[in-house]
Amino acid sequence: MSEPAAPAADQVLDCVGAACPLPVLKTARAIKELVPGQVLEILATDPGVEPDMRAWTSRTGNELVSIYKQDGVFHVLIRRVG
Amino acid sequence: MTWTDEHQTKLLYVHTHGIDDPGRCATPFFLAAAAAAMEFEVMIYFTMYGPTLLRKDVIDKIGPKGDQGQPLRYFIEQATGLGVRLLVCQPSLDLNDLSLGDLIDGVEVIGAAAFNDLAAAADAVVSF
Repeated sequence: MSEPAAPAADQVLDCVGAACPLPVLKTARAIKELVPGQVLEILATDPGVEPDMRAWTSRTGNELVSIYKQDGVFHVLIRRVG
Repeated sequence: MTWTDEHQTKLLYVHTHGIDDPGRCATPFFLAAAAAAMEFEVMIYFTMYGPTLLRKDVIDKIGPKGDQGQPLRYFIEQATGLGVRLLVCQPSLDLNDLSLGDLIDGVEVIGAAAFNDLAAAADAVVSF
């Protein structure tokens, strides 16, 4: 888990309280609203969000910029690629 | 009935349980939805008692946790909304005294050879 030293997000997606698989489904939808190069920040409390977002970004070719947990909330920063 | 994109990862789920075991009804749909969100091509094949989960008159009445939580329709639409395709075979419609008209729209009928062909060409087959 990396330290909170991430670029500012262009869009924030609130998935706090949403259980698997909703964070992944919402992320897949939200990333399409960004242009390539922009960063989406997902806020989530689902305990599986880190492995899920690693798998999702590696499969879709988007870039996982960082993941950190602060005050019980995961912050996942993903840059849209392509 | 074939996979449409040879460059995409292809996942075939097989679901054999029906309305008598509602605790098992939702997972294949949400795994399939997540797979579609990962840009996989995804189909779910319903056989044995599985086709009963696609009955129009059932999907609002059952859910994995009974009266708590979302009904089955929610999980089905989450998957189909992301492009997951739903398949049944005629013998398992017969087994459950169903016809295609009893099922929600969009379900496609295949046979054993088509199923085996899809399974052989898939990157993974996940069976419930």
